[in-house]
Amino acid sequence: MDIQRILILLGKEARLGATNFMSIYVLVMPVILSLLIALVFGDLLAQTPRLGIYDASDSQQFIQPLLDHPSINTTLYGSQDALTRAVERGAEEIGLSLPAGFAEAMRSDSAQVDFTVYRWGEAGVRNLLLLESAVGRAMAEGIGSGIDQLPVGVNAEQLGSANNLTWSQRLLPLLLIMSIVLGGLFIPATSLIDERQKHTLIALTTTPATLLDVYLSKTLMGFILSALMAIIILLLNGAFAGHVALLLLVIALGGLLSSVFGIILGSVSKDMDTFMGIIKAAGILLYAPGILKIFPQVPEWIGRIFPTYYLMNPLLEVTQNGAGLADIFVDIAVMVVLAAALLILLNSVIGRQQQKLALET
Amino acid sequence: MAQPAIAVKDLSYSYGDILAVDDISFDVAEGEVIGFLGPNGAGKSTVVKMLTGQLTPQNGSALLLGMDIVKERKQVQQEIGISFESTNLYEQMSAVENLDLFAKLYKVSDFDAMGLLEKVGLGGREKEHVASYSKGMKQRLMMARALVSDPKMLFLDEPTDGLDPVSTETIHALIRAATQNGATVFLTTHDMVEADKLSDRVAFLNQGRIVALDTPARLKQRFGMRALKVEVELPEGGAEEREITLDEDQTPQAVFDLFKNERILTVHSEEATLEDIFFDITGRGLQG
Repeated sequence: MDIQRILILLGKEARLGATNFMSIYVLVMPVILSLLIALVFGDLLAQTPRLGIYDASDSQQFIQPLLDHPSINTTLYGSQDALTRAVERGAEEIGLSLPAGFAEAMRSDSAQVDFTVYRWGEAGVRNLLLLESAVGRAMAEGIGSGIDQLPVGVNAEQLGSANNLTWSQRLLPLLLIMSIVLGGLFIPATSLIDERQKHTLIALTTTPATLLDVYLSKTLMGFILSALMAIIILLLNGAFAGHVALLLLVIALGGLLSSVFGIILGSVSKDMDTFMGIIKAAGILLYAPGILKIFPQVPEWIGRIFPTYYLMNPLLEVTQNGAGLADIFVDIAVMVVLAAALLILLNSVIGRQQQKLALET
Repeated sequence: MAQPAIAVKDLSYSYGDILAVDDISFDVAEGEVIGFLGPNGAGKSTVVKMLTGQLTPQNGSALLLGMDIVKERKQVQQEIGISFESTNLYEQMSAVENLDLFAKLYKVSDFDAMGLLEKVGLGGREKEHVASYSKGMKQRLMMARALVSDPKMLFLDEPTDGLDPVSTETIHALIRAATQNGATVFLTTHDMVEADKLSDRVAFLNQGRIVALDTPARLKQRFGMRALKVEVELPEGGAEEREITLDEDQTPQAVFDLFKNERILTVHSEEATLEDIFFDITGRGLQG
């Protein structure tokens, strides 16, 4: 193995990939789908958190910072009824109902002040966190205390659908699998098959570069694209959140799995038609967990049958539920075991490939 | 005696039940051009694949520049250049990009792609995608690629097959230039004229075995029948061709009698070609 030659070959992969239709397709497709979903279901154009407020008396000093807040859309409602209706239909993600005498009670050193917060059932976790934080900070600034010392009692009430996943969030798993698997699997596989069919692979391996160097460069290309696409899709969907290091670890493992699987598939596929046939026949196994996730009523255990579940699940847990390492340890362990198995298989494939290549020319 | 550039001993290779290379042994001196001649399926390409590290021999051994082709495969490949029979260039890249890529893989410092492209007559077209090149241009670029590392040994598999005379002559000139610089050339071809013209020695390969190996001149001397072709005028008008075989005891008398008794119109000497000799030895043609 020669790092310098691997990087030279990686440069060649990038150069050829830039003009290759398949590369462009697998890179652009998830982005286009992501944008389409965002347009159709509104998350892209309405990402700003929405807050509705009904103020029964004069609590301007608490409301004004929220009205001036640059990152949230705040609307004042004239009645409690109007506010709850707005939250119920999803026009507001959080409704804040401030009772009469709220401001005075907050300023006095008297006991706890109670008020009601209405939460739209389909509001995203990210927006809810942002809104709750903004409301807390506005109140703390209003009385000059810390957020954790606020003398308030919150009555939380959920309105609207009980499902707290938006359509964008439901489709995100499928998009993530598409981006990671398409980039990681297709690029090394198609590049390898193409080089074998055009006999350029034999030209490379009769130089001082080894077949392992060539394989690693293609796998690395798939890994990089896969990780890059996963990050882009998460960013586009406003889901690059949670423990970033953990998220990157999961993305890296997913990229490794996909690219190694891709290069193995490329090695065993006789030609491009065979490869596409395998993908058409077995593609459902890759995408199934993402498809199942669209339907929350489908039991979770069904998804666990498919290997890509162990990539999708930790990504969602980290980005949507703020999970830590302990929460997704099992998923990561499964991915590590799968990666080890694939690497052993790859080693065996490379061993047989050199003779096979010579016989094909 | 100097160490041979190529030393092959008892090399064999089978594809299943088919014995492609059958226990061959030969040496090639440094700076020598050896032509491997044989019809399709004779085992030429299998020999090249074993010597260039693409296939591992099933029996026997071979040393290239003193290095074992199996144990020191990558060191051997650092010292050789290969021009393959079928075009295998990166067609979506330019000629310069193709050459630069391989120069980097060989870790050649200060590589002058343009200089090499000028030598093979591709100057001025260096930035075009290789896909737009003609077959002759691609073959010349393949030859240039084989030369990027200034190799000590060149393996050329049918380098001029199906090319126009200009491209063929360019490639012949490059082969001659490489040998003048001390490179050893292993030329695989079924073009006997090319082999005769370029090779110091030729090996005839038939059904996986070397059936003859010598200089073209000595092969012709050993196996070829020289002849004199004479056109004579007939008394009743018209002409007739007569042939007198040379190198026989009765040849001087036959020539004397012919010139004494007949009116000679034309006289031509005729030499056996390598193809004739191959046919005489194996009973089959090179194109077969």
